[in-house]
Formats: sequence, structure tokens, C-alpha cells
Amino acid sequence: MECCNQKVSMISRIRNLTNRKDAHKVEQNAQKKIALIGNPNVGKSVIFNSLTGAYVTVSNYPGTTVEVSRGRYTYGNSKLEVIDTPGMYSMIPITEEERVTRNLLINERPDLVLHIIDAKNINRMLPLTLQLIEAGFQVVLVLNIMDEAKALGIEINCRELQKILGIPVLEASAALNKGLNEIRKTIEEQIKDAA
Amino acid sequence: MQHNTLNYDKDIENLIFRLVSHLNSDYAFSKRSVATMLLQEDEEIWELVKQNDGSNYNEIRAMINEFKKNTSESVLYQISRTQQEESKKILQKVMTVDKNSGSKLAKIVNKLTINPITGIPLLLLVLYYGFYQFVGVFGAGTMVDFIETNIFDEMINPYINQFVNGLIPWKVVSDLFVNDYGIITLGIKYAIAIVLPVVGCFFLMFSIIEDSGYLPRISMLMDRVFKKIGLNGRAVIPMTLGFGCDTMATMVSRTLETKRERVISTFLLALAIPCSAQLGVILALLSGKPMAMAVWLVFMVLIFMLIGYLTSKVIPGEKAGFYMELPPLRMPKLSNVLKKTYVRMYWYFKEVLPLFILASVLIWVGNITGLFEVLVRYTVPVVNMIGLPDKTAEIFLFGFFRRDFGAAGLFDMQSSGVLNGRQLVVAAATLTLFVPCVAQFTMMIKERGWKTALAMCAFIFPFAFAAGYLLNKVLVLWGINLG
Repeated sequence: MECCNQKVSMISRIRNLTNRKDAHKVEQNAQKKIALIGNPNVGKSVIFNSLTGAYVTVSNYPGTTVEVSRGRYTYGNSKLEVIDTPGMYSMIPITEEERVTRNLLINERPDLVLHIIDAKNINRMLPLTLQLIEAGFQVVLVLNIMDEAKALGIEINCRELQKILGIPVLEASAALNKGLNEIRKTIEEQIKDAA
Repeated sequence: MQHNTLNYDKDIENLIFRLVSHLNSDYAFSKRSVATMLLQEDEEIWELVKQNDGSNYNEIRAMINEFKKNTSESVLYQISRTQQEESKKILQKVMTVDKNSGSKLAKIVNKLTINPITGIPLLLLVLYYGFYQFVGVFGAGTMVDFIETNIFDEMINPYINQFVNGLIPWKVVSDLFVNDYGIITLGIKYAIAIVLPVVGCFFLMFSIIEDSGYLPRISMLMDRVFKKIGLNGRAVIPMTLGFGCDTMATMVSRTLETKRERVISTFLLALAIPCSAQLGVILALLSGKPMAMAVWLVFMVLIFMLIGYLTSKVIPGEKAGFYMELPPLRMPKLSNVLKKTYVRMYWYFKEVLPLFILASVLIWVGNITGLFEVLVRYTVPVVNMIGLPDKTAEIFLFGFFRRDFGAAGLFDMQSSGVLNGRQLVVAAATLTLFVPCVAQFTMMIKERGWKTALAMCAFIFPFAFAAGYLLNKVLVLWGINLG
């Protein structure tokens, strides 16, 4: 079960450690990277699975992902590396798993950050979007679990939000397979512009 | 073009401006963002700046210290307040909330699950029907019976025994594959006939509960109960996951904030939380004897609370408040549940099968060299001491190797009717307490370090037997008949 999944990622982690010195060199010619960032339990892993065709365990329990998973997203002739990260509440980390995620941002400098939030709790999660933009990442904001937000009577004007922030804002209900195509399309468009 | 919407108070902005001019290196984050993190005293970022802009380090430090001296309010607070307020301002422009929406039923069910008065009976109901009835009676009873008795014992084993014994005339060699401890007749049989159906049922139930969002509510409920007896609630969070797999839960314990919580949590996982495979088989063992089941449950809960209480008294450190995101209750999606169950079974089986085979091989080697016999001989007095017959010594040796292997062995033995109710309970309780499996032990070393992991084991081994001894004495003394 999960413990075995971890073995794989442990090995790749060790490999990463030993390669760290040349990592920077390799990265420059290597494929572009997308990092999935967000609070625990907002659906990062569902989106990761859908983009990469891989399977990481998805559950309705915060903090299920404690290690970084990597997968490949292929479209046309292009390939992107997709990185699923443990949950993160703010740019200033408190717990170890948040630290893992921030170190990943520092060391790997993803070309695109997909900030995934639970639309129901947008007021708690939007500050991280603002911080990510301030930090200079190219950000796409995904308002996930939109179905439940709507059921609670929450309406969000995406267009207006997009205008204020200057980044693409998408609605999705990834667990119900909704909005995933838009996410793909947006990634493909954005990654072209990424430096 | 992206818009940075964060504008801090004028004094802070001025300071950020000056700081940025002292940051010359290329950071992953914008210099402005690095400056705000320095202001928030983020140690890792300070370290990073020291490495990359060492020559300006002292000057940067001095600027920030100077600034802090002259402001009454904490900078950290000011910065995060600006971030919160800005976010609020934006949302006022783009979001509307209709307060009257939302399912009333979900709200009621939510309250029922986390209020102790209704929550505990509800939890017991879920445990009884979901686990005792489904996993224990159906999975471990009906299904195992069928696969073990009808398929293995009647169809496969005699045939294979005869075939292999005929093929390989040397009993020493054929014993490796068949007969009492063979790879096929013991290792593979345990894995497929006993552990797989039990674990499969358990994973199915666990996945449903996990996806429904009930699991964190159990954590919340347990926290409320534990706080009353002075136990640290926060460390309980990964524990509910431990019932799925202790190894994974040990890893998840790193999400806890303080070292103290991580240690307590790791320890309790190793000692008192049975993993799914073990739990499943124990449910199976005791499923015909409700009284025995109740004794086991009460005993485990008591041990858990006692040790939890003592560790939280003994291990020094800050108590952390309980904070946990409560995800909504939702209807689990069948496809996700099935897929998850399948993936878990697949990984589990892939992990367990080679180990079970290895166990058979080790026993075989041990038998040839006589080592197994010696070990059994040394273990016999110990198991006798806790009131168990000689034959169970083997089981405990299996258990050293893997929790579920020991439990499966016990199950096998119970089927042949060697043990009475009291002995079953004592054996099950002792096996639950002792040894984390090899994988869990490895994870303990990885997460907590050699010293802590070894110290925990040094406590757990004697403690498990002492507890078993006590339980046996009490049951004998009170003359409790468990069938």
C-alpha cells in the first residue's frame, strides 16, 4: 500500500540528494515544470492524477500527501514535469511538510505554479495566491470544489478576479471531472509564455 | 500581466525598498518577497541570504533590528494583516454568499458526528456494522472459511503435498515448498487465504469512511474525549490513519508541529494501534465470541489511554492546541473507493507476499539448523507465563517478523480449536501490543532516529508480555469465562 509508494519516492529523493550539485545545470535544458500548490485537502492529488495519468492516493483527509510526487504531462510534442506537493498554508512554513513544499519552490523554481484552492474557503486561501504573485511566480489560480461552494450559495466572479490579479482564474470540480480540460488548455497556453 | 496587490504600510514599504537594494543574488522568489520573509524572521530565508548575500548580511540585519526597535506593533503581524485585508478587499468585489443555502441535513449530521454524546454511539455503530460485522464476520469468517477450507485445505494443499512429495523424494527439500511450513502451504496460503480477504474488506470499509470525510471527525471526537483526561489531543490525528497502515501513519506524524507530539504519536502507533491486517485478523479470531471481543477492545483502549496519559506527562514540551481542517461530509464516489481499495490491496499484496515467502524460507532454514527449535524452546516459557500453550510460541516468533503474519498464524491455530476464549484474548492483546512490523520499525528510525526508535522497542517488548501476563491473571482470578 502507501508505504511501498513511499519507497519509490524515497529512492528518488536520495537520488535527488546525490544529484543536487548538478541539478541546476540539468534543469536549464530540461523540460518545464509545473508545481501544484495549495492547502491540504483541496484536490491537488486528483488534479495531479488527471494530468499525469499516474495514481497517487486521494482521500478526504487533510495531509494525506506528505511527500512530493512527480509525473509527466504530455500534449502534442511537448512534455512537462508535474509536481504534486504536500499542503501549504502560507509562504512562511510552520510544519515540516510545508517546509518541504517551500524548499521545492526555492530549489526547483517551477515555471508555472498552479495554486489550487477550495472555493468554499477562498477567504482563507486567497492570501497565499497574493503571496505567490508577490514572490514573482507565474500563477494560475484554480477554484476547485466549486460544486460544493455553489451548494453553499457562494458565487465568485472569475472574470473580475482575473482582472484584479492579472492571472488566469479557473473554476473546477476536479473530483467530478469538471474543469479539467480548461486547466489543461490554460497550462498549455501559459507555459508557452513562461520564461 | 500579473499584478502584485500587496502594499504594506508606508514604513514597511520603505524598509522593503532599502532591503531589496541590498539583495543582489538571484533568488527563486522576487527580492521583495525575500525581504518580507526576512522581516517575518524566517530562519531558512535568513540562512539563504547569508549564503548568497553574505557581504550585506550584517547591514540587512542592522536595518531590520533598527526598524523593529522603532515600531511597537510586531512586523510579522502587520505583514500578515495586510495580506488578509487585501484578500478580503478583493473578495468583497468578486464574491457573494447566499447564507440560506447549504444542506441542512449535512449540517445536522456534522454536528451529530462531533458531539461526544451522539458521536460516540454513532462511532460504535459504525465500528460494529462496518468493521465487526463486515470485516470480522463476513470477510474473516465467511470468506476466509471458504478460501482456506474449501480451496486450500481441501483442494490445493493435499494435491500439492502429494505432488511435491512425490516429485522430490528428500523430505528436507520438499519441506521448503510444502508440508507444515512450506512456501506454498504456509506462506502463500496465509497471504491469499487469510490476509488478503480480510485486508481487502478492511480497505474497502476504510476507503468509504475516508472519502466520506468521517475520519477527521473521529479525530476531532477523540480529541474532545482525550482532552478531558489530560491527553494531548493533537497527536491523535495520524492515529486514525494508523488503523489503515501504521507505517504510513508514522510518516504522516511529521505533519505534527512539535517534536513532542511526533514522539508521542509514533510511540502510540507502535504500541497500541493495530494495523488493518492485524485488526482484520483479530476481528476474525474473536468474531465468534462477542465477550472476548469486548474484553480485547476495553483492554486495548485502557492501555492506549494509560500509556498516552503517562507519555504526555513524562515527555516534556509545549502542549499544542488542536487545529484541524474539517473537510465536508460527502457521499463517497464508488469508482474512487474501488480504485483506492484495489490500489491498496495491490501494494499490500506485493509487499506482503515476498515477505511471507521469506518467512517460510527462514523457518525452513531454522528447522534444518535447529535454530527455530531453540528459539521456540526459549519462547515457550514466556508464552506459558501468560497462560498460553506451547504451540503459540511459534506464532509469537512469526509476529516478530510481521504483525499480520503472527496474527494469521494465530487464526490458523484457532481454526483447529487449540485455544480457549481466554487464551485467544490474551494472545490477541499481546500480539497487538508488541512489535511494530519491519516496515514500521524502519520508518520509525527514518522519522525519529535510531535512539528513539530503539528505546521505544526496548519498552514495547517487555511491556507487551507484562500486559498479557496481567490480563491473563485478571481473567483467571475473576474466573471470567469467554467461551
